[in-house]
Amino acid sequence: MALTEKHFKKIVDKLVSLKDTSELMIDLAYSSLFLNSRALAEEVEALENHIDDMHTEFELLVLSSGFKPEESKDFLGLIRLGVVTEKIADAAMEIADVVLRGLEPHPILRLVIEEAEETVTRVTVSKTSPLVGKKIREAQIPEETGMWVLVIRRGNWWLRPRPDTVIKAGDVLIASGYAEGEADFETLATGVKPQTNEES
Amino acid sequence: MADSDKIEYKPISVREALTEMKDDSEIMIDLAYSSALFNSHELAEEVLELEKRVDYLAYIIDMSTMLAARDAEDAEHLTAVISVAAATNKISDAAADIASIVLKDIGIHPIVRKAFEQVEEQLARAIVKPNSILVNKKLDDLELAAKIGVDVIAIRRHREWTIDPDEKEMILEGDVLIARGAPHGVDELKALAAGKLRKLE
Repeated sequence: MALTEKHFKKIVDKLVSLKDTSELMIDLAYSSLFLNSRALAEEVEALENHIDDMHTEFELLVLSSGFKPEESKDFLGLIRLGVVTEKIADAAMEIADVVLRGLEPHPILRLVIEEAEETVTRVTVSKTSPLVGKKIREAQIPEETGMWVLVIRRGNWWLRPRPDTVIKAGDVLIASGYAEGEADFETLATGVKPQTNEES
Repeated sequence: MADSDKIEYKPISVREALTEMKDDSEIMIDLAYSSALFNSHELAEEVLELEKRVDYLAYIIDMSTMLAARDAEDAEHLTAVISVAAATNKISDAAADIASIVLKDIGIHPIVRKAFEQVEEQLARAIVKPNSILVNKKLDDLELAAKIGVDVIAIRRHREWTIDPDEKEMILEGDVLIARGAPHGVDELKALAAGKLRKLE
């Protein structure tokens, strides 16, 4: 049984996801530490569970590809690369764990981190939000709210925001920025203006 | 570590050591994947060199944090520093694992190359031709990161590698650049290096 084109593509896709996810996890883990953000650390934790499953699927795909004995070195290389992404993901989780354990960062870590004035917030995009259907570029979130989208969670997928990424209802946007922008950001994502005391 | 050199305590600040470790480990991952992608033993060896440096820094951090603990409460806070340093060290170990795959000729399946065409952060190798506009320009004058979203992570000149080149580094004719960035950005860099694209904006 030779490796079919479909099987080949499946392995490629899985390896792409493993690599991208492990690197996203490192970025989010350091960010969670620097911003002392539980919300981000929790995302890393969710990604850790997700990548474990992906890694198993990847290994099963590789092992079931029907390779010939003379190809086994190449396939061993694939398995090892998968293990590496898993190891990177574990390391990211250990960093996020520091935040999740709620350890007060030592003054030394604070120095590395520098005093973060920024905050991290998580908001679900509602159906009525003006963001729905817009590309990140068009949404102008930083201009409107002073907050930057770090990552978008869509069901079981985590996307790095790209200028062309289209925002959908139900997306969870995780953003950082100055605390003053938080309310504006929530308004934008939920499409609901916060209650004010002003009478019109 | 390949050879167990005696580690001597030196008063590098933990802050400096941790920052350097973080930067090194991140560049190691990119270099290691590049070594696999371009099947370069030399790059893989550079990764292992960096690994030694990171191991050394990890020891320095361990020693410094031990010296910094005055009481139980201090020790508790310092465990966070040690955990982060250990995790960062693990990332560099992972990079070294990739380098070992290359150095031991375990094999890079065509699937790997195909996958690297689809990942978010792309890696590229570009040879600087004599007619390229990059020739005799300093990295900080080119502003590649700002203009095309690409970072040059290593330069090979003759047999010498410069890893994570300084901003003052001048690009010369014949240099081999290893870079990472968004797909369209690395394509632009390749065209610039080949002399096919004459404008950088």
